[in-house]
Amino acid sequence: MTSLDLLLILSGLTTLTGFTFGNHRAYPWLAGIVLTAQIGILASMPLPMAAGFGFEMFGRPVGWQMDGFGRFFALITLGAALASVAYTGGEWGERYAAEGKNLRWLHGALAGNVLAMLLLLASGDLIAFFIGWELTSWAGFLLMAQGGERALRAAMRYVPYAMAGAMAVLGGLVLTLTWTGTLDLSQLVMLVPGLANWKLALLLALFGTGFAVKMGLLPVHLWQTPAYAEAPGAATAFLGAISSRMGLFGFGLLLVKLITLTRLADLSFIDGLFSARDLIEWVAALTIVLPTFTALKQNDARYLLAWHGIGQSGYMLLGLVIGDATGSAGGLLHVFNHATYQAALVLSVFAVMHRTGTADLNSMGGLVARMPFTFLVMLLGIIGLAGLPPMNGFVSKWLIYRSLMIEGRPLLFLMTVLGTLGTILSVYKLIHNTFLGQLRAEHEQIREAPWSMLVPMLALVALAFVTGVAPGLALDYVNQAQAALGLPVMAHTLGGVESPRGSLDMLWIVGVLFAGFGIGALLFYGAGGRSKRIHQLDNYAGGHFLSADVRYQYSDHFYAGLMHRIGPLYRGSFTQMEAALVSANDLLASLMQAWYRQAVPALTLLIATVLGLAWMIWR
Amino acid sequence: MNMLELLTELALMPLIAFTIGLFMVLMMRKIAAKIQRRVGPPLLQPLYDIVKLYAKETQNSHGLIHDIGIVMAVGGYIAAETMLPVPGMNGIADKSGLLALAYVTMIPSLGLALGVGQCANPNGSIGIARALTAMLAYDVPFVIIIFGASWFYGSNNLIDIVAHQQAGGIATWGAAKMPVLAIAALFSMYAMLGKQPFEIYVAPAEIATGPMVEMGGKYLGGLFVMQCFQLFTASAIYVTMFLGGGENWPFFLVKLFAIIAIPMSMAFVFPRYRTEDVLAVVWRWPVLLGLAGVWLVMH
Amino acid sequence: MNPSVLALVPALPLLAAFLLPLVPGAARRLVGPLTLLAVAFIGLNLWPMAQTEPMVLAVGNFAPPLGITFYADTVSALFVIAVALVTLVLWPWSGSDAGNLDRKQSLTLILAGACGGLAVSGDLFNVYVFYELAAVASFGLAAGARTAAAQIATFRYVVIGSLCSLLALLGITLIYVQTGTVNLAHLAQLAPHTLHNPLGLAAFFMILLGLGVKAELFLVNTWAPDVYATAEARVSGLLAGLVSKLALLAVARLLVLIFPLPEARDALLVLGMLGILSGEFAAFRARDVRRMLAWSSIAQLGAAFVAFAIPGPAGLAAGLAVALHHLLVKPALFLLADRWGGSLAQITGAARNSPVSATLFVLFILSMIGVPPLPGFWAKYLLLSGLAAQPQGLWWLAGAIILLTTVVEAVYLFRVIGALYGHDHRATPKSQSATAVIGSGVFAAVLLAIAFSAPLLALPLNRMAVQMADSAAYIARVLPPVLPGVAP
Repeated sequence: MTSLDLLLILSGLTTLTGFTFGNHRAYPWLAGIVLTAQIGILASMPLPMAAGFGFEMFGRPVGWQMDGFGRFFALITLGAALASVAYTGGEWGERYAAEGKNLRWLHGALAGNVLAMLLLLASGDLIAFFIGWELTSWAGFLLMAQGGERALRAAMRYVPYAMAGAMAVLGGLVLTLTWTGTLDLSQLVMLVPGLANWKLALLLALFGTGFAVKMGLLPVHLWQTPAYAEAPGAATAFLGAISSRMGLFGFGLLLVKLITLTRLADLSFIDGLFSARDLIEWVAALTIVLPTFTALKQNDARYLLAWHGIGQSGYMLLGLVIGDATGSAGGLLHVFNHATYQAALVLSVFAVMHRTGTADLNSMGGLVARMPFTFLVMLLGIIGLAGLPPMNGFVSKWLIYRSLMIEGRPLLFLMTVLGTLGTILSVYKLIHNTFLGQLRAEHEQIREAPWSMLVPMLALVALAFVTGVAPGLALDYVNQAQAALGLPVMAHTLGGVESPRGSLDMLWIVGVLFAGFGIGALLFYGAGGRSKRIHQLDNYAGGHFLSADVRYQYSDHFYAGLMHRIGPLYRGSFTQMEAALVSANDLLASLMQAWYRQAVPALTLLIATVLGLAWMIWR
Repeated sequence: MNMLELLTELALMPLIAFTIGLFMVLMMRKIAAKIQRRVGPPLLQPLYDIVKLYAKETQNSHGLIHDIGIVMAVGGYIAAETMLPVPGMNGIADKSGLLALAYVTMIPSLGLALGVGQCANPNGSIGIARALTAMLAYDVPFVIIIFGASWFYGSNNLIDIVAHQQAGGIATWGAAKMPVLAIAALFSMYAMLGKQPFEIYVAPAEIATGPMVEMGGKYLGGLFVMQCFQLFTASAIYVTMFLGGGENWPFFLVKLFAIIAIPMSMAFVFPRYRTEDVLAVVWRWPVLLGLAGVWLVMH
Repeated sequence: MNPSVLALVPALPLLAAFLLPLVPGAARRLVGPLTLLAVAFIGLNLWPMAQTEPMVLAVGNFAPPLGITFYADTVSALFVIAVALVTLVLWPWSGSDAGNLDRKQSLTLILAGACGGLAVSGDLFNVYVFYELAAVASFGLAAGARTAAAQIATFRYVVIGSLCSLLALLGITLIYVQTGTVNLAHLAQLAPHTLHNPLGLAAFFMILLGLGVKAELFLVNTWAPDVYATAEARVSGLLAGLVSKLALLAVARLLVLIFPLPEARDALLVLGMLGILSGEFAAFRARDVRRMLAWSSIAQLGAAFVAFAIPGPAGLAAGLAVALHHLLVKPALFLLADRWGGSLAQITGAARNSPVSATLFVLFILSMIGVPPLPGFWAKYLLLSGLAAQPQGLWWLAGAIILLTTVVEAVYLFRVIGALYGHDHRATPKSQSATAVIGSGVFAAVLLAIAFSAPLLALPLNRMAVQMADSAAYIARVLPPVLPGVAP
């Protein structure tokens, strides 16, 4: 038995235990210990590590093998699952069960997702890949469907997308088999780049569609927000942190390893002016910008974060497709970074929901006074999401900006920065409407979230902070992933990168930043008169007197000025496209039903027979 | 360079920046006074103002985040100054670079936003919404310019950029090599400073309906300090990117003050743009100029 | 084993059907199941022998091409086993009264006998006879629900069925006129000279339409949704699951032995594609669970036609895989839909009352849309890789259609899952009957067993397809070359 077998068996056992004893008090502890052990096993696993099992189907071996690329994603998966299980383990899970929801299914589905993803990430050939792909999709569906009626509806919307993606991948799989005669990844690496251009383009279209759906790339992203937002807390965190990154994993395999980026650039559409590589870069760039500005308009904290999750995935793909050492390191590092702060953010939103019962950004405010630690988590989380120092989100985005600069892509660079700026606006609204401003009367008695929920949240932001200060810790694994994909490996230091054309040393930057804060604090607290805490009702109100029943909070339509300018650009085109597709489908369906409802089948039969005979005879 | 020298630099650079910033505020007021045919304030008036605000008896706090916001606003700039090379001192400029500097300068804005948000006054929040929108407006041309400059110099390292420009005198200055970008940069820096006609987000004329609504005493004093830093930082970034940086102190100071003087001389004759008009103006002219400049640089 | 047992495959159930009313007392209820077990036993014994050499029976010792020929290779053996066992699982154990029950059981036995006969028939005329027998039995069974709706639906079925039977007979006549024989092996020998022309193709097309009625072939399948929605669940299961497969098998034999022509394949391919399109899209709008399953069945059989159209063993392997998978899944779904028929709103929340049945339902649905590692995936994989290996054009179009319609299929099937696990306080879903749970449980067990042993089953499937595709061996086995000195 190899250590990969052990890893998968442990996940299989956790899944079974989750579905059977998930509601037991001891289960979260057990699952936590197992997940920790799995992280240990995975991190210390020599690579590449083949699984001891496998089988032969129709004369083709189906097997599993973990390499550095897969391990990078697998570590994040296990970490996200650990945080989710820990969060669910305490009061949150008890409340969930007390509401009559099925904790066993939640735990089972979560562990099942981990198992499916591990299988996917360790696949050694395309059949194993497809098995993992489908299992991931449907395990994800199971997790999404847990949160009640709205969640079920959102999950149902996911079905056509997931299925279309899976079928596109399957189509790509059989074509690959037809053209190369093999499905083994190690052989495909040599054979696929040699295929003719049109074949590569078709493979790109098919596989690309499948992966794009999972990733939530434009224009097939609409399913993701409701599906991720409506799932129960820990599930949302897990889904948002890692689930849709499986699409990126697929893109990594497809674009970098199989088709290769040089061949991708050969596939040009208009006389070498615009290549498939440009197309993907622009899709990624638009995926950064449009969903980010959609997030800006959300009034539900969960939806806001889910939209940002889509937006951030654009950075990852863009970095990967730029494909130089810096850019691809940035794209891959962003997967890890995003997982840490996004999970923390989602969990903090659900902690607030746990106490207030709402995620509506127009019915909260001022909660920092009651839930300071949750505020801290959200603050550090949004700094990461916005990509500002000192959190880790800054480092990965910096690498992507830097590589766009080096490669000379001004417009793409502008898109990435536009996404970041939009994110800053949006996340400020998030933290402002939740924690800042006026504390509502009904929230006077609210307590801080319980420790069982705080500890995972704080651990996640601590991780996001530490890997922001010392990105080298995570970049080691990124380098292994780069090497496994055949990308140039980015040399790094503990604090970032060292280059004569522009270094980044986060140790120093964060050092001076905190020194600056320290001096700022000295100046503030050490000098001048003593400040006095005043009540929130003791505020300037243009001569009016404030009382507890007066709403004195600005939350709705937060960026009114901005919306005056860009509001008309929100047209809902994608939603309309989706609706048009559904209508077309319905129309076709009623036509087809008309065939079966026809009143004179015998006559139709006669006509059809004559026509058929004519066709058979004269063709 | 040994560690002690570096630490001395790190301590000196913000101090110098603050001092210069104080004089920039003074110059700004003097220019306004000249335009409005007033005498203007005395030499140390900016310093008096700060001392006065800090010494006030009424210091209303809306809670820890209110305080921390001010700390972040000042502290962020203190950190930013150590990344900007000045004559004889490089600080940690070689460890951060232009991009990181641009993002570190957003931290004070975020601090301010947090502090104002905590005040539980919708007028303040509205002000912050406007301020962030303005940031969205002026940062777009700003990053285009950063891209162009960085591409032109082939480096993100400010020390490199300065050395590159100083190699051949004025002829190799960024402004001489990339005039279109330099103009665009001046425009976007103007917008960044939050002076007329771009001062909607500070709304100094009607303090009760802007971000400052709940700020008094040393809170306002902290923001005053922040403004000093901001003036210096904006000007120094511009000088470093386009005007050859600092060969020596006298020359550097002349450039710094000149760059601030240009927008200030224009500012006080303008009325004010509304938020959406700030977007429209800044997203049109400096962005187009910036893109044209980048195109010229790259071809 | 004596080849004459082949004759027992159709003969035993038919005999039992006629003798059933005569058997006294409680033993009467045992006649059917015992007969079916006996047939299954024969099939199981045929299986190993057919592996090495197909078995041929010349009834009455008239040497082929004269007389009646029965022929059993591995595929036939497999279908004989399937006929017996599936009929057993879908056996009518109860009826409204004794007479009704007798009738149902007799008709079911006739159906089983006819299906067994179709599996082992070696000449065209017998195919026609058994096919007609199956048709008559299925008319009777379909109308057996005794509701007005069922009778109207059956009437349409009868009209279409009889017209198409005429067409098939016409086709067979054409062939006979042209060649003077109806023996499949003999026809296979003569076909290249006499039937590979427009006349032969016309005959093929007419037979295709004739046999296509039961196989829910597009053009002649308009009866299916109504009949399946109104007949008893077990009857729908038998018709959609079992009878359709035997018709399919007969078409496949014709295609392999007599008409291995691109024109014939194209006809199958195009009609199959239309079947898939019309079935899946019609099901997309279906609000009645059983009608939805009926349309889905039409689409699945369309896929089977497409698969059989692929030349060579690859096509047969794919076709057999698709057909056998459908044989396992569809009857089980119809069984479960017995109580869960009607509109989706009525079954909202049914999973809480009947968790096991809901789980089974989900399992079958997942297999049907081809979620690996369930068998449905491997069938789809074979089908798609077979299509992809063909030159582009219609073949790839068919592949694209299958991929596309699977999405549609997933949507409407997941709607059922969504309803089963949804919440609606107004709905009062019925809980499942024990027979449905047990019946579908058996199918599920087989399905899972296949899923777990799929790598082991790939080889036998392939061997079966190779054997079936080898028309030269068929001819040589049925019509052994006359050696000098040996009496034929």
